[in-house]
Amino acid sequence: MNNNIRILPFAVSKKILLAGVCGGLLIAAPNAFSANWIMLQGTEKPGIAPPVKLWGFIQPTYQKDFSSSYNGKYVPPKLIGPNLDTQSSFNIMRARIGVRGAPFFLDDKVNYFIMTDFGDNSLTDGGRYGSYRPVVTDASVTLNYIKGARVRLGLFKYPGAEEGLQGIGSLNYINYTDVTNQLLLERFPDAGDKNIPPQTIPDADMNAFSNPATGFRDVGVQVFDAFDVGKWEHTYAAMLGNGSGVRMTDGNASKDVYLYWSSAYLFDKKNKGPMSPSVKMFSWYQSGKRTNAYNTAQEQDRKRYGAGVTYLKKPYRVTAEYMWGKGMIYQGSNNPQTLFNDFKANGGYVEAGWFIPSTKWELDLRYDRYQRNVDLPTQTRFSTWTAGVQYHFTPKTRVTLDYAMRHYSADAVAQNNQLLDVGGRLALQVTAVF
Amino acid sequence: MIRIRQKIFMTAFLLGLIGIAPSVMANPAAEPVSQAIQEKPFAEARVALQISDADGPRQQLVLNVASNLIKFYGADKVDVEVVAFGPGLRLLFKDNALGDQIQSLAAEGVRFSACANTITAMSKKLGYEPELNPEARIVPAGIVRLVQLNKAGFFVSRP
Repeated sequence: MNNNIRILPFAVSKKILLAGVCGGLLIAAPNAFSANWIMLQGTEKPGIAPPVKLWGFIQPTYQKDFSSSYNGKYVPPKLIGPNLDTQSSFNIMRARIGVRGAPFFLDDKVNYFIMTDFGDNSLTDGGRYGSYRPVVTDASVTLNYIKGARVRLGLFKYPGAEEGLQGIGSLNYINYTDVTNQLLLERFPDAGDKNIPPQTIPDADMNAFSNPATGFRDVGVQVFDAFDVGKWEHTYAAMLGNGSGVRMTDGNASKDVYLYWSSAYLFDKKNKGPMSPSVKMFSWYQSGKRTNAYNTAQEQDRKRYGAGVTYLKKPYRVTAEYMWGKGMIYQGSNNPQTLFNDFKANGGYVEAGWFIPSTKWELDLRYDRYQRNVDLPTQTRFSTWTAGVQYHFTPKTRVTLDYAMRHYSADAVAQNNQLLDVGGRLALQVTAVF
Repeated sequence: MIRIRQKIFMTAFLLGLIGIAPSVMANPAAEPVSQAIQEKPFAEARVALQISDADGPRQQLVLNVASNLIKFYGADKVDVEVVAFGPGLRLLFKDNALGDQIQSLAAEGVRFSACANTITAMSKKLGYEPELNPEARIVPAGIVRLVQLNKAGFFVSRP
Protein backbone atom coordinates (compact mmCIF):
# COMPACT_ATOMS: atom_id res chain seq x y z
CA MET A 1 0.00 0.00 0.00
CA ASN A 2 1.34 3.41 -0.91
CA ASN A 3 1.40 5.48 2.24
CA ASN A 4 2.31 8.62 0.28
CA ILE A 5 -1.19 8.91 -1.08
CA ARG A 6 -3.02 11.66 0.74
CA ILE A 7 -6.64 12.50 0.48
CA LEU A 8 -6.99 16.07 -0.68
CA PRO A 9 -9.37 18.37 1.13
CA PHE A 10 -12.76 18.36 -0.59
CA ALA A 11 -12.54 22.01 -1.67
CA VAL A 12 -9.10 21.47 -3.25
CA SER A 13 -10.06 18.25 -5.00
CA LYS A 14 -13.22 19.95 -6.30
CA LYS A 15 -11.12 22.75 -7.76
CA ILE A 16 -8.74 20.25 -9.36
CA LEU A 17 -11.68 18.33 -10.79
CA LEU A 18 -13.20 21.54 -12.11
CA ALA A 19 -9.89 22.62 -13.60
CA GLY A 20 -9.52 19.20 -15.18
CA VAL A 21 -12.98 19.36 -16.71
CA CYS A 22 -12.42 22.91 -17.99
CA GLY A 23 -8.98 21.99 -19.29
CA GLY A 24 -10.41 18.97 -21.01
CA LEU A 25 -13.07 21.11 -22.62
CA LEU A 26 -10.54 23.66 -23.82
CA ILE A 27 -8.28 21.00 -25.30
CA ALA A 28 -11.23 19.30 -26.93
CA ALA A 29 -11.93 20.30 -30.50
CA PRO A 30 -15.03 22.54 -30.51
CA ASN A 31 -16.34 21.38 -33.87
CA ALA A 32 -18.62 18.49 -33.13
CA PHE A 33 -21.92 18.33 -34.97
CA SER A 34 -23.34 14.89 -34.48
CA ALA A 35 -26.89 14.18 -33.20
CA ASN A 36 -26.86 17.53 -31.54
CA TRP A 37 -29.83 19.84 -32.16
CA ILE A 38 -28.14 22.91 -30.69
CA MET A 39 -25.29 22.56 -33.18
CA LEU A 40 -27.24 21.15 -36.11
CA GLN A 41 -29.77 23.97 -36.05
CA GLY A 42 -27.41 26.76 -35.02
CA THR A 43 -24.36 26.22 -37.19
CA GLU A 44 -23.27 25.24 -40.66
CA LYS A 45 -20.48 22.79 -41.41
CA PRO A 46 -17.33 24.88 -41.89
CA GLY A 47 -15.69 24.80 -45.29
CA ILE A 48 -18.57 23.09 -47.08
CA ALA A 49 -21.71 25.10 -46.27
CA PRO A 50 -23.32 26.73 -49.31
CA PRO A 51 -24.14 30.44 -49.26
CA VAL A 52 -27.84 29.65 -49.80
CA LYS A 53 -29.46 26.31 -49.15
CA LEU A 54 -33.17 26.22 -49.90
CA TRP A 55 -34.99 23.62 -47.82
CA GLY A 56 -38.22 22.82 -46.07
CA PHE A 57 -40.88 20.19 -45.54
CA ILE A 58 -44.59 19.57 -46.02
CA GLN A 59 -46.83 17.45 -43.79
CA PRO A 60 -50.31 16.71 -45.16
CA THR A 61 -52.22 15.08 -42.31
CA TYR A 62 -55.52 13.34 -41.65
CA GLN A 63 -56.84 12.77 -38.13
CA LYS A 64 -59.94 11.07 -36.79
CA ASP A 65 -61.00 11.23 -33.16
CA PHE A 66 -63.16 8.46 -31.65
CA SER A 67 -64.15 10.20 -28.41
CA SER A 68 -67.78 10.43 -27.36
CA SER A 69 -69.54 13.61 -26.42
CA TYR A 70 -70.77 14.41 -22.93
CA ASN A 71 -74.36 15.62 -23.03
CA GLY A 72 -73.92 16.16 -26.77
CA LYS A 73 -71.04 18.56 -26.36
CA TYR A 74 -67.33 18.35 -26.90
CA VAL A 75 -64.14 19.70 -25.31
CA PRO A 76 -60.81 20.28 -27.17
CA PRO A 77 -59.21 16.84 -26.52
CA LYS A 78 -62.12 15.31 -28.48
CA LEU A 79 -61.66 17.57 -31.50
CA ILE A 80 -59.02 17.97 -34.19
CA GLY A 81 -56.75 21.00 -33.94
CA PRO A 82 -55.86 23.64 -34.60
CA ASN A 83 -59.43 24.71 -35.43
CA LEU A 84 -61.07 22.30 -32.96
CA ASP A 85 -64.25 22.23 -35.04
CA THR A 86 -64.88 18.58 -35.75
CA GLN A 87 -63.70 15.03 -35.05
CA SER A 88 -62.11 14.33 -38.43
CA SER A 89 -60.12 16.59 -40.64
CA PHE A 90 -57.58 16.83 -43.41
CA ASN A 91 -54.96 19.46 -42.73
CA ILE A 92 -51.54 20.72 -43.77
CA MET A 93 -49.99 20.46 -40.35
CA ARG A 94 -46.73 22.08 -41.43
CA ALA A 95 -45.58 23.61 -44.71
CA ARG A 96 -42.25 25.21 -44.05
CA ILE A 97 -39.77 26.70 -46.42
CA GLY A 98 -36.54 28.43 -45.60
CA VAL A 99 -32.95 29.12 -46.46
CA ARG A 100 -29.79 28.71 -44.45
CA GLY A 101 -26.07 28.82 -45.09
CA ALA A 102 -22.83 30.73 -44.81
CA PRO A 103 -23.09 33.85 -46.97
CA PHE A 104 -19.37 34.52 -47.42
CA PHE A 105 -17.49 31.37 -48.42
CA LEU A 106 -14.01 32.69 -47.59
CA ASP A 107 -14.99 33.33 -43.99
CA ASP A 108 -17.87 31.03 -43.20
CA LYS A 109 -17.86 31.81 -39.50
CA VAL A 110 -21.07 33.75 -40.08
CA ASN A 111 -24.11 31.49 -40.54
CA TYR A 112 -27.78 32.31 -40.96
CA PHE A 113 -31.13 30.47 -40.81
CA ILE A 114 -34.51 31.77 -41.98
CA MET A 115 -37.74 29.75 -42.12
CA THR A 116 -41.43 30.45 -42.62
CA ASP A 117 -44.49 28.32 -41.94
CA PHE A 118 -47.50 28.26 -44.26
CA GLY A 119 -49.17 25.24 -42.63
CA ASP A 120 -52.19 25.34 -40.33
CA ASN A 121 -51.15 24.85 -36.73
CA SER A 122 -50.87 26.59 -33.38
CA LEU A 123 -48.37 29.03 -34.86
CA THR A 124 -50.46 30.16 -37.79
CA ASP A 125 -54.10 29.53 -36.91
CA GLY A 126 -55.72 32.47 -35.13
CA GLY A 127 -58.64 30.41 -33.82
CA ARG A 128 -62.04 31.87 -33.03
CA TYR A 129 -60.78 35.37 -32.28
CA GLY A 130 -58.07 35.70 -34.88
CA SER A 131 -57.28 34.58 -38.41
CA TYR A 132 -54.82 32.40 -40.30
CA ARG A 133 -51.48 34.08 -40.97
CA PRO A 134 -48.18 32.54 -42.08
CA VAL A 135 -45.33 33.24 -39.67
CA VAL A 136 -41.57 33.58 -39.70
CA THR A 137 -40.54 30.73 -37.41
CA ASP A 138 -36.78 31.28 -37.53
CA ALA A 139 -34.57 34.22 -38.40
CA SER A 140 -31.16 33.97 -36.82
CA VAL A 141 -27.49 34.72 -37.35
CA THR A 142 -24.71 32.70 -35.73
CA LEU A 143 -21.23 34.14 -35.18
CA ASN A 144 -18.61 31.42 -34.79
CA TYR A 145 -15.61 33.62 -34.05
CA ILE A 146 -14.94 32.69 -30.43
CA LYS A 147 -13.88 29.12 -29.78
CA GLY A 148 -16.09 27.67 -27.10
CA ALA A 149 -18.55 30.56 -27.22
CA ARG A 150 -20.50 30.71 -30.45
CA VAL A 151 -23.18 33.38 -30.44
CA ARG A 152 -26.62 32.99 -32.04
CA LEU A 153 -28.92 36.00 -32.27
CA GLY A 154 -32.48 36.38 -33.47
CA LEU A 155 -35.50 34.07 -33.54
CA PHE A 156 -34.80 30.36 -33.16
CA LYS A 157 -35.61 27.24 -31.15
CA TYR A 158 -34.54 27.82 -27.57
CA PRO A 159 -32.43 25.19 -25.78
CA GLY A 160 -34.78 22.84 -23.95
CA ALA A 161 -36.53 19.49 -23.95
CA GLU A 162 -35.70 17.01 -26.69
CA GLU A 163 -39.22 16.69 -28.12
CA GLY A 164 -39.50 20.42 -28.73
CA LEU A 165 -35.93 21.00 -29.77
CA GLN A 166 -35.53 18.14 -32.23
CA GLY A 167 -35.97 18.65 -35.96
CA ILE A 168 -39.35 17.65 -37.40
CA GLY A 169 -37.56 15.14 -39.61
CA SER A 170 -36.74 13.21 -36.44
CA LEU A 171 -40.11 13.58 -34.72
CA ASN A 172 -41.41 10.04 -34.96
CA TYR A 173 -45.03 10.71 -34.00
CA ILE A 174 -47.63 12.99 -35.52
CA ASN A 175 -48.81 14.62 -32.30
CA TYR A 176 -46.70 15.81 -29.40
CA THR A 177 -47.02 14.17 -26.01
CA ASP A 178 -49.45 15.87 -23.62
CA VAL A 179 -46.60 16.98 -21.39
CA THR A 180 -44.82 18.73 -24.25
CA ASN A 181 -48.01 20.10 -25.76
CA GLN A 182 -49.38 21.48 -22.50
CA LEU A 183 -46.36 22.21 -20.33
CA LEU A 184 -43.86 23.46 -22.93
CA LEU A 185 -45.73 24.63 -26.04
CA GLU A 186 -46.60 27.99 -24.57
CA ARG A 187 -49.72 29.90 -25.64
CA PHE A 188 -50.23 33.62 -25.28
CA PRO A 189 -53.75 34.90 -24.72
CA ASP A 190 -54.82 38.29 -25.99
CA ALA A 191 -57.05 40.55 -23.89
CA GLY A 192 -59.91 39.86 -26.29
CA ASP A 193 -59.69 36.05 -26.02
CA LYS A 194 -62.53 34.58 -23.92
CA ASN A 195 -63.10 31.12 -22.46
CA ILE A 196 -65.31 28.87 -24.56
CA PRO A 197 -67.64 26.31 -22.90
CA PRO A 198 -68.09 22.80 -24.41
CA GLN A 199 -69.59 22.98 -27.90
CA THR A 200 -71.52 20.90 -30.37
CA ILE A 201 -69.95 19.84 -33.66
CA PRO A 202 -69.26 20.39 -36.55
CA ASP A 203 -68.78 24.09 -35.76
CA ALA A 204 -67.24 23.91 -32.29
CA ASP A 205 -64.48 26.43 -33.05
CA MET A 206 -62.84 25.94 -29.65
CA ASN A 207 -59.37 27.37 -30.29
CA ALA A 208 -59.53 30.52 -28.15
CA PHE A 209 -55.90 31.65 -28.47
CA SER A 210 -55.54 34.25 -31.21
CA ASN A 211 -51.77 34.73 -30.82
CA PRO A 212 -49.29 32.24 -32.26
CA ALA A 213 -47.93 29.64 -29.81
CA THR A 214 -44.18 29.59 -29.17
CA GLY A 215 -43.28 26.71 -31.44
CA PHE A 216 -40.52 26.19 -28.81
CA ARG A 217 -38.90 29.38 -30.10
CA ASP A 218 -37.94 32.76 -28.76
CA VAL A 219 -36.19 35.96 -29.84
CA GLY A 220 -32.92 36.53 -28.04
CA VAL A 221 -29.24 35.74 -27.85
CA GLN A 222 -27.65 32.37 -27.14
CA VAL A 223 -24.04 31.48 -26.30
CA PHE A 224 -23.24 27.86 -26.99
CA ASP A 225 -20.78 25.30 -28.26
CA ALA A 226 -19.98 21.60 -28.34
CA PHE A 227 -16.76 19.92 -27.29
CA ASP A 228 -15.35 16.55 -28.25
CA VAL A 229 -13.60 14.64 -25.53
CA GLY A 230 -12.67 11.28 -27.01
CA LYS A 231 -15.92 9.63 -28.04
CA TRP A 232 -17.93 12.00 -25.84
CA GLU A 233 -19.51 15.20 -27.06
CA HIS A 234 -20.47 17.80 -24.46
CA THR A 235 -22.73 20.70 -25.35
CA TYR A 236 -23.83 23.75 -23.46
CA ALA A 237 -26.15 26.62 -24.27
CA ALA A 238 -27.20 29.69 -22.31
CA MET A 239 -29.80 32.03 -23.71
CA LEU A 240 -31.60 35.23 -22.83
CA GLY A 241 -34.87 35.84 -24.65
CA ASN A 242 -38.04 37.88 -24.69
CA GLY A 243 -40.19 34.95 -23.63
CA SER A 244 -42.71 35.82 -26.34
CA GLY A 245 -42.27 32.98 -28.83
CA VAL A 246 -42.38 33.87 -32.50
CA ARG A 247 -44.10 37.17 -31.81
CA MET A 248 -41.76 40.05 -32.50
CA THR A 249 -42.72 41.86 -29.32
CA ASP A 250 -41.57 41.60 -25.71
CA GLY A 251 -44.38 41.25 -23.20
CA ASN A 252 -42.52 42.85 -20.29
CA ALA A 253 -39.14 44.15 -19.08
CA SER A 254 -38.01 40.75 -17.74
CA LYS A 255 -36.00 38.41 -19.89
CA ASP A 256 -36.34 34.63 -20.00
CA VAL A 257 -33.27 32.58 -19.07
CA TYR A 258 -32.61 29.26 -20.78
CA LEU A 259 -29.83 26.86 -19.75
CA TYR A 260 -28.94 23.55 -21.37
CA TRP A 261 -26.32 20.86 -21.01
CA SER A 262 -25.92 17.54 -22.81
CA SER A 263 -23.28 14.83 -22.82
CA ALA A 264 -23.43 12.29 -25.61
CA TYR A 265 -21.43 9.14 -26.19
CA LEU A 266 -20.99 8.74 -29.94
CA PHE A 267 -20.80 5.17 -31.22
CA ASP A 268 -19.52 6.42 -34.57
CA LYS A 269 -18.05 9.91 -34.69
CA LYS A 270 -17.91 9.83 -38.49
CA ASN A 271 -21.65 9.32 -38.78
CA LYS A 272 -22.82 12.86 -38.18
CA GLY A 273 -26.31 14.29 -38.35
CA PRO A 274 -29.70 13.70 -36.76
CA MET A 275 -29.44 9.91 -37.06
CA SER A 276 -26.00 9.65 -35.50
CA PRO A 277 -25.74 6.56 -33.30
CA SER A 278 -25.30 7.80 -29.77
CA VAL A 279 -26.46 7.86 -26.16
CA LYS A 280 -27.25 11.38 -25.01
CA MET A 281 -28.05 12.62 -21.52
CA PHE A 282 -29.35 16.13 -21.14
CA SER A 283 -30.90 18.56 -18.72
CA TRP A 284 -32.37 22.02 -19.15
CA TYR A 285 -33.89 24.91 -17.23
CA GLN A 286 -36.06 27.89 -18.19
CA SER A 287 -37.39 30.76 -16.16
CA GLY A 288 -39.10 34.03 -16.90
CA LYS A 289 -41.96 36.30 -16.02
CA ARG A 290 -45.29 36.68 -17.77
CA THR A 291 -47.67 39.61 -17.69
CA ASN A 292 -51.37 38.93 -17.30
CA ALA A 293 -52.96 39.75 -20.64
CA TYR A 294 -56.19 40.68 -18.86
CA ASN A 295 -54.59 42.82 -16.14
CA THR A 296 -51.20 44.15 -17.17
CA ALA A 297 -50.36 45.19 -13.60
CA GLN A 298 -49.94 41.50 -12.65
CA GLU A 299 -46.81 39.43 -13.26
CA GLN A 300 -46.22 35.74 -12.73
CA ASP A 301 -43.03 33.63 -12.62
CA ARG A 302 -42.90 30.82 -15.14
CA LYS A 303 -40.40 28.01 -14.54
CA ARG A 304 -39.73 24.84 -16.45
CA TYR A 305 -36.96 22.26 -16.06
CA GLY A 306 -36.30 18.69 -17.03
CA ALA A 307 -33.88 15.95 -17.93
CA GLY A 308 -33.78 13.03 -20.29
CA VAL A 309 -31.84 10.47 -22.24
CA THR A 310 -31.85 9.34 -25.86
CA TYR A 311 -30.42 6.16 -27.34
CA LEU A 312 -30.10 5.54 -31.05
CA LYS A 313 -28.29 2.66 -32.62
CA LYS A 314 -30.15 1.04 -35.45
CA PRO A 315 -32.32 -0.96 -35.33
CA TYR A 316 -33.30 0.46 -31.94
CA ARG A 317 -34.19 3.88 -30.59
CA VAL A 318 -35.24 4.75 -27.02
CA THR A 319 -36.04 8.17 -25.59
CA ALA A 320 -37.14 9.17 -22.10
CA GLU A 321 -37.77 12.59 -20.64
CA TYR A 322 -39.28 13.99 -17.48
CA MET A 323 -40.04 17.62 -16.75
CA TRP A 324 -41.57 19.91 -14.18
CA GLY A 325 -43.20 23.31 -14.33
CA LYS A 326 -44.57 26.03 -12.07
CA GLY A 327 -46.62 29.02 -13.13
CA MET A 328 -48.57 29.66 -16.33
CA ILE A 329 -49.94 26.11 -16.40
CA TYR A 330 -52.06 25.72 -19.51
CA GLN A 331 -55.72 24.83 -18.84
CA GLY A 332 -56.81 23.99 -22.38
CA SER A 333 -57.20 25.59 -25.81
CA ASN A 334 -60.64 26.85 -24.82
CA ASN A 335 -59.51 28.52 -21.59
CA PRO A 336 -57.19 31.49 -22.25
CA GLN A 337 -58.48 33.39 -19.23
CA THR A 338 -57.20 30.71 -16.82
CA LEU A 339 -53.61 30.59 -18.06
CA PHE A 340 -52.29 33.21 -15.62
CA ASN A 341 -51.71 31.05 -12.52
CA ASP A 342 -49.01 29.73 -10.19
CA PHE A 343 -50.05 26.08 -10.41
CA LYS A 344 -47.62 23.16 -10.68
CA ALA A 345 -47.42 20.39 -13.24
CA ASN A 346 -45.13 17.55 -14.21
CA GLY A 347 -44.90 14.69 -16.63
CA GLY A 348 -42.77 12.68 -18.95
CA TYR A 349 -42.64 10.00 -21.60
CA VAL A 350 -40.81 6.89 -22.70
CA GLU A 351 -40.77 5.91 -26.34
CA ALA A 352 -39.02 3.30 -28.42
CA GLY A 353 -38.60 2.62 -32.10
CA TRP A 354 -37.58 -0.48 -34.01
CA PHE A 355 -36.33 -0.17 -37.57
CA ILE A 356 -37.25 -3.56 -39.01
CA PRO A 357 -33.94 -4.80 -40.46
CA SER A 358 -33.61 -4.91 -44.26
CA THR A 359 -36.95 -3.17 -44.74
CA LYS A 360 -38.21 0.41 -44.93
CA TRP A 361 -40.60 -0.14 -42.03
CA GLU A 362 -40.31 1.25 -38.54
CA LEU A 363 -42.46 0.44 -35.51
CA ASP A 364 -42.90 2.95 -32.71
CA LEU A 365 -44.45 2.85 -29.26
CA ARG A 366 -44.76 5.70 -26.78
CA TYR A 367 -46.20 6.14 -23.31
CA ASP A 368 -46.64 9.61 -21.91
CA ARG A 369 -48.22 10.96 -18.77
CA TYR A 370 -48.88 14.44 -17.52
CA GLN A 371 -50.54 15.87 -14.44
CA ARG A 372 -51.42 19.48 -14.11
CA ASN A 373 -52.69 21.56 -11.18
CA VAL A 374 -50.82 19.23 -8.83
CA ASP A 375 -52.17 19.21 -5.25
CA LEU A 376 -55.18 21.32 -6.22
CA PRO A 377 -58.86 20.33 -6.37
CA THR A 378 -58.62 20.73 -10.15
CA GLN A 379 -55.76 18.24 -10.52
CA THR A 380 -56.01 16.55 -13.89
CA ARG A 381 -54.17 13.50 -15.24
CA PHE A 382 -53.43 12.64 -18.85
CA SER A 383 -51.90 9.35 -19.93
CA THR A 384 -51.56 8.09 -23.48
CA TRP A 385 -50.21 5.06 -25.28
CA THR A 386 -49.36 5.76 -28.90
CA ALA A 387 -48.60 2.94 -31.32
CA GLY A 388 -47.13 3.93 -34.66
CA VAL A 389 -45.83 2.53 -37.87
CA GLN A 390 -43.72 4.39 -40.40
CA TYR A 391 -42.74 3.52 -43.93
CA HIS A 392 -39.71 5.37 -45.25
CA PHE A 393 -40.03 5.76 -49.03
CA THR A 394 -36.68 7.52 -48.98
CA PRO A 395 -34.62 8.96 -46.11
CA LYS A 396 -36.51 12.23 -46.68
CA THR A 397 -40.02 11.01 -47.38
CA ARG A 398 -42.11 8.88 -45.06
CA VAL A 399 -45.66 8.04 -44.16
CA THR A 400 -46.64 7.76 -40.49
CA LEU A 401 -49.71 6.07 -39.03
CA ASP A 402 -50.37 6.56 -35.31
CA TYR A 403 -53.12 5.38 -33.04
CA ALA A 404 -53.31 6.99 -29.60
CA MET A 405 -55.21 5.45 -26.68
CA ARG A 406 -55.89 8.16 -24.12
CA HIS A 407 -56.98 7.96 -20.50
CA TYR A 408 -57.77 11.34 -18.99
CA SER A 409 -59.27 12.08 -15.59
CA ALA A 410 -59.77 15.01 -13.24
CA ASP A 411 -60.51 15.35 -9.52
CA ALA A 412 -63.20 17.95 -10.20
CA VAL A 413 -66.43 16.15 -11.12
CA ALA A 414 -67.55 18.52 -13.85
CA GLN A 415 -64.23 18.37 -15.61
CA ASN A 416 -63.94 14.63 -15.10
CA ASN A 417 -67.28 14.13 -16.82
CA GLN A 418 -65.93 15.88 -19.89
CA LEU A 419 -62.69 13.87 -19.92
CA LEU A 420 -63.94 10.35 -19.18
CA ASP A 421 -65.09 9.77 -22.74
CA VAL A 422 -61.87 10.93 -24.39
CA GLY A 423 -60.99 7.96 -26.55
CA GLY A 424 -58.73 6.88 -29.34
CA ARG A 425 -57.31 9.04 -32.09
CA LEU A 426 -56.07 7.93 -35.49
CA ALA A 427 -53.58 10.06 -37.37
CA LEU A 428 -52.04 9.59 -40.79
CA GLN A 429 -49.34 11.87 -42.14
CA VAL A 430 -46.91 12.12 -45.01
CA THR A 431 -43.68 14.00 -44.36
CA ALA A 432 -41.72 15.17 -47.39
CA VAL A 433 -38.48 17.01 -46.71
CA PHE A 434 -36.75 18.79 -49.57
CA MET B 1 24.01 57.06 -31.04
CA ILE B 2 23.06 53.70 -29.60
CA ARG B 3 19.45 54.87 -29.34
CA ILE B 4 19.42 55.90 -33.02
CA ARG B 5 20.90 52.56 -34.03
CA GLN B 6 18.26 50.77 -31.94
CA LYS B 7 15.51 52.76 -33.63
CA ILE B 8 16.93 52.04 -37.10
CA PHE B 9 17.16 48.35 -36.20
CA MET B 10 13.61 48.25 -34.87
CA THR B 11 12.28 50.11 -37.92
CA ALA B 12 14.11 47.78 -40.27
CA PHE B 13 12.86 44.77 -38.32
CA LEU B 14 9.24 45.95 -38.47
CA LEU B 15 9.50 46.85 -42.15
CA GLY B 16 11.01 43.45 -42.77
CA LEU B 17 8.12 41.79 -40.99
CA ILE B 18 5.61 43.77 -43.01
CA GLY B 19 7.43 42.99 -46.23
CA ILE B 20 7.94 39.33 -45.49
CA ALA B 21 4.63 38.51 -43.90
CA PRO B 22 2.48 38.24 -47.03
CA SER B 23 4.93 36.02 -48.83
CA VAL B 24 5.58 33.56 -45.97
CA MET B 25 2.96 30.85 -45.85
CA ALA B 26 2.43 28.74 -42.80
CA ASN B 27 2.38 25.38 -44.63
CA PRO B 28 5.53 23.89 -46.20
CA ALA B 29 6.11 23.97 -49.96
CA ALA B 30 5.25 20.91 -52.00
CA GLU B 31 8.04 18.75 -53.34
CA PRO B 32 8.72 19.15 -57.05
CA VAL B 33 6.77 16.64 -59.13
CA SER B 34 9.95 14.75 -60.08
CA GLN B 35 10.62 14.12 -56.36
CA ALA B 36 7.03 13.56 -55.33
CA ILE B 37 6.55 10.65 -57.70
CA GLN B 38 9.46 8.83 -56.07
CA GLU B 39 7.21 8.28 -53.03
CA LYS B 40 5.15 5.79 -55.01
CA PRO B 41 7.64 3.85 -57.12
CA PHE B 42 5.26 0.93 -57.63
CA ALA B 43 2.30 3.02 -58.71
CA GLU B 44 0.30 1.47 -61.58
CA ALA B 45 -1.75 4.62 -61.96
CA ARG B 46 -1.10 8.27 -61.26
CA VAL B 47 -4.09 10.59 -60.93
CA ALA B 48 -4.28 14.34 -60.29
CA LEU B 49 -7.66 15.56 -59.01
CA GLN B 50 -8.59 19.18 -59.58
CA ILE B 51 -10.82 20.99 -57.09
CA SER B 52 -11.61 24.56 -58.08
CA ASP B 53 -15.21 24.82 -56.78
CA ALA B 54 -16.22 25.92 -53.31
CA ASP B 55 -19.35 23.83 -52.90
CA GLY B 56 -19.44 21.06 -50.34
CA PRO B 57 -20.77 18.21 -52.54
CA ARG B 58 -17.97 18.81 -55.07
CA GLN B 59 -15.38 18.73 -52.28
CA GLN B 60 -16.86 15.50 -50.96
CA LEU B 61 -16.85 14.01 -54.47
CA VAL B 62 -13.15 14.72 -54.96
CA LEU B 63 -12.29 13.03 -51.66
CA ASN B 64 -14.54 10.08 -52.47
CA VAL B 65 -12.84 9.65 -55.84
CA ALA B 66 -9.42 9.65 -54.14
CA SER B 67 -10.70 7.11 -51.64
CA ASN B 68 -12.14 4.88 -54.37
CA LEU B 69 -8.87 4.95 -56.30
CA ILE B 70 -7.05 3.71 -53.22
CA LYS B 71 -9.67 1.06 -52.61
CA PHE B 72 -9.36 -0.21 -56.19
CA TYR B 73 -5.59 -0.14 -56.65
CA GLY B 74 -4.33 -0.27 -53.08
CA ALA B 75 -2.41 2.54 -51.40
CA ASP B 76 0.98 1.52 -52.82
CA LYS B 77 -0.26 1.03 -56.37
CA VAL B 78 -1.80 4.41 -57.04
CA ASP B 79 -0.35 7.91 -56.76
CA VAL B 80 -3.02 10.54 -56.10
CA GLU B 81 -2.55 14.28 -55.75
CA VAL B 82 -5.43 16.68 -55.09
CA VAL B 83 -4.70 20.17 -56.41
CA ALA B 84 -6.84 22.95 -54.95
CA PHE B 85 -7.04 26.42 -56.41
CA GLY B 86 -9.52 29.25 -56.81
CA PRO B 87 -12.66 28.76 -54.67
CA GLY B 88 -11.64 25.10 -54.40
CA LEU B 89 -8.95 26.06 -51.90
CA ARG B 90 -11.78 26.05 -49.35
CA LEU B 91 -11.33 22.26 -49.21
CA LEU B 92 -7.96 22.80 -47.56
CA PHE B 93 -9.05 25.39 -45.01
CA LYS B 94 -8.01 24.30 -41.54
CA ASP B 95 -11.52 24.11 -40.07
CA ASN B 96 -13.14 22.39 -43.06
CA ALA B 97 -15.61 19.77 -41.85
CA LEU B 98 -13.96 17.22 -44.17
CA GLY B 99 -10.62 17.62 -42.36
CA ASP B 100 -10.73 14.13 -40.84
CA GLN B 101 -11.22 12.58 -44.26
CA ILE B 102 -8.31 14.59 -45.65
CA GLN B 103 -6.13 13.40 -42.79
CA SER B 104 -6.97 9.74 -43.33
CA LEU B 105 -6.36 10.04 -47.10
CA ALA B 106 -3.03 11.76 -46.44
CA ALA B 107 -2.12 8.87 -44.16
CA GLU B 108 -2.58 6.60 -47.20
CA GLY B 109 -0.25 8.71 -49.30
CA VAL B 110 -2.63 11.15 -51.02
CA ARG B 111 -0.97 14.57 -51.46
CA PHE B 112 -2.85 17.85 -51.14
CA SER B 113 -1.51 20.88 -52.98
CA ALA B 114 -2.66 24.43 -52.33
CA CYS B 115 -2.22 27.21 -54.88
CA ALA B 116 -0.08 30.09 -53.59
CA ASN B 117 -1.65 32.55 -56.03
CA THR B 118 -5.06 31.74 -54.57
CA ILE B 119 -3.78 32.08 -51.01
CA THR B 120 -2.39 35.52 -51.82
CA ALA B 121 -5.62 36.64 -53.48
CA MET B 122 -7.73 35.34 -50.61
CA SER B 123 -5.43 36.97 -48.05
CA LYS B 124 -6.05 40.33 -49.70
CA LYS B 125 -9.82 39.88 -49.50
CA LEU B 126 -9.80 38.57 -45.95
CA GLY B 127 -7.14 40.86 -44.54
CA TYR B 128 -5.31 37.84 -43.17
CA GLU B 129 -3.93 34.60 -44.56
CA PRO B 130 -6.39 31.70 -44.35
CA GLU B 131 -5.23 28.90 -42.09
CA LEU B 132 -4.79 25.67 -44.02
CA ASN B 133 -5.04 21.99 -43.16
CA PRO B 134 -1.62 20.83 -41.94
CA GLU B 135 -1.59 18.24 -44.75
CA ALA B 136 -1.66 20.97 -47.42
CA ARG B 137 1.55 21.71 -49.30
CA ILE B 138 2.03 24.97 -51.16
CA VAL B 139 2.58 25.05 -54.93
CA PRO B 140 3.25 28.33 -56.78
CA ALA B 141 0.22 27.93 -59.04
CA GLY B 142 -2.43 25.22 -58.99
CA ILE B 143 -2.91 25.10 -62.74
CA VAL B 144 0.85 24.91 -63.36
CA ARG B 145 1.07 22.02 -60.90
CA LEU B 146 -1.59 20.18 -62.89
CA VAL B 147 0.37 20.75 -66.13
CA GLN B 148 3.52 19.44 -64.46
CA LEU B 149 1.72 16.40 -63.10
CA ASN B 150 0.22 15.75 -66.51
CA LYS B 151 3.64 15.92 -68.16
CA ALA B 152 4.89 13.41 -65.57
CA GLY B 153 2.22 10.94 -66.66
CA PHE B 154 -0.66 11.80 -64.33
CA PHE B 155 -4.23 11.46 -65.54
CA VAL B 156 -5.80 14.82 -64.70
CA SER B 157 -9.44 14.69 -63.67
CA ARG B 158 -11.93 17.25 -62.42
CA PRO B 159 -14.67 15.21 -60.73
